This record gives sequence, C-alpha cells and structure tokens, in this order.
Amino acid sequence: MSGEGTTTTEVAALQERLESVERSAAAKEQQLERYAADLRETFKRERERRHELRRSYMATVRALCNAVEARDAYTGKHAERVAAYGMEIARQLDAPFADDPEVEFGFLLHDVGKVAVPDAILWKPEPLTQDERSLMEQHPIVGWEILREIDFLGEAKLVVRHHHERWDGTGYPDGLAGELIPLAARVFAVADVLDALTTVRPYRPPSTVVEARGMIDDSVGSHFDPEVVAAFRQISDATLDRIRLEGS
Amino acid sequence: MRSVLIVDDDPFIRKLVSTTLEDVAGFRLHEAANGVEAVERAAEIRPELVFLDIDMPRMDGITACRHLRAQEEGAGNATIVMLTAAGATENEDRARSAGADLFLTKPFSPLDLLRLVDELA
Repeated sequence: MSGEGTTTTEVAALQERLESVERSAAAKEQQLERYAADLRETFKRERERRHELRRSYMATVRALCNAVEARDAYTGKHAERVAAYGMEIARQLDAPFADDPEVEFGFLLHDVGKVAVPDAILWKPEPLTQDERSLMEQHPIVGWEILREIDFLGEAKLVVRHHHERWDGTGYPDGLAGELIPLAARVFAVADVLDALTTVRPYRPPSTVVEARGMIDDSVGSHFDPEVVAAFRQISDATLDRIRLEGS
Repeated sequence: MRSVLIVDDDPFIRKLVSTTLEDVAGFRLHEAANGVEAVERAAEIRPELVFLDIDMPRMDGITACRHLRAQEEGAGNATIVMLTAAGATENEDRARSAGADLFLTKPFSPLDLLRLVDELA
C-alpha cells in the first residue's frame, strides 16, 4: 500500500512538473510571437515610409525638371521621354541600373544646369559665338554643382555631368572617351538624340523612327557606344512609338 | 556609463530584454536572477533603470522593489519597471505602493520596451 502511495505522489509531482514546463514553454512561445508581430509591424511601417520617401523624391525631381522645361516650349516633355527611352535601353542592356530610380532621376534632370544659361543664348536663333558656346557647354558642370549635396541622387549626378560626352572623346565637359564615360551617360546619349530627331523643332520636321535609327547607326563609334546602340536596336518600333506618344 | 539592471529568474527573458536593448540609447546592461541578487547588484552599479519580474525565488519582485527604493546610493532614484503577467492588477497595486514607476505586461511588445528606454535616454 505504502509503495503505491509513494508512486501516486511521484506521479502527481511529475505531473505538476510537466505542467510547469509546459506553461513556461507556452509563455516563451507567446513572447516570441509578440516579437514576430512587432517585427512584421515594423517592416510594414518601414516599407510604407520607403514608398512615401520615393514619392517625395520623385515629386522633388519632377518639380526641378518642370522648372527647367518651363523655359523651353519646344522640348515639352523631352526629359520624360528621354528618361523612358533611356530606361528601356538599360533594360535591353541588362544594365545594373535598369531598375534604379537614381539613374532615372539623372535622365530627368540632365539639363538642370541650363537654369544658368541666359535666355539670350538659350533662345538665340543664329549660331552661337565661341564665348556663348563655352558658356552653354558649362551646363553639365553647373547641373552637377546644383545637385552635388543631394545624397539620393548619387548616380544621377554622373548622368548630369557626362550627358554630353561622346564615345570618341570629343564631347564635353570632361572629354571622356569610351568606357570612362559612365554607362548611364552613354545610354542617355542615344536616348537624347533619338528624342531630338523624332520630335518637331522650329527649324525642321521630325524624323521617323526608321530615319532616326539610321542616323544613330551612322554615329556608332564616334558619338555612341556600339554596345548601347546594339541594345537600342533590340527595341521595337512599337515600344518607341508608345513612349513618344505617351510623352507628347 | 548609465546602467540598466534586468531582473528575472528566467534566463530566456533576461536574454531577450538584454538583446533587445543592446546598442540602444547607450546604456550598459546588467542582469540578476532574483530579488536578493538584484538588491546587491543595484548597490554596485547604481542603475538608472530597473526591469523587475514579480514571481522570483529567494525574494520576489515586490519585496525587491521596496528594498531598491530604500537604497540611498543604489537604485533609490532609478525608474523601476515591473514585468507583470496579464490580468495581475492586484500585483500592480502592490508594486505601485512598493515604489514601482511603470509596468510592462508579459508577453511584452519589444517596440514598447524600446520606446520606453528611448524616452528615458
């Protein structure tokens, strides 16, 4: 009898011990769930804030971009179209910045330095004098200086500074050649010329996409990076037309 | 450097609290496993902030709280945060009269914990 009694007590003690272990395990589990819930909440908030930040960056860049374009009735939405062409070429190239908003910002802001060019030069119908041209050719440096302190425009600043460089080294402001020119700026060069050719200007009608492709091909190796042009050739006329019409 | 004392008999909770507060607000973190240890440690390190569990062996948190409040040099002026179980309002009343300032209900939210320390920093 006494042996049985001890066994019952032992069983009860074990039972109690087990329950206590289970309670403790359940409490730990609940505590960890609480951590997971907070982590999820923090992540969501962080994501919202990131989107908000991106929207406000975009709005800032567009405001700057509109300020630049407001002076130039002919080019209209030139910057937006160039940005769209440029991003399309980047995707074809599978460039590391293919989805990088910074580079897109650079495409949009490429001419921000023109705020420092006087109307009399910007609007002059006759060819520019040597001095006027030097002043005009400062605009990539002025743009780069304007944006210098803005951290979120890292790569964009390189596009702004080098968007008039040429593959053969005869461009400005730094006369860089070949792969010394940042890839995003080499992409930009093709997009910029494509848009200039296919939109109407006071002194000439617009070229067709087919004509523009021919003219771009003629400048491979002199103005343009052959690899960038090869990527550009992969883009269909339909895609280019869509961008042109959306941005007109 | 400013100190925090984390008191709980469960090493899991001590680890969780100290890991959460690591590198936050520049506090040095110390731990104790029961009320007796807490009172001894507090006299040495003079914490600005104490997290205090209630159910502990040797000396419970409410008694420890009373002792800490009575210290002239140790934790007398510290902010004392009691770690309580949900629904234990009776304990909260007793802790408050023993000198506790704030309550954090288990399972506690790590964000609440961080905010609390951030406000004190």
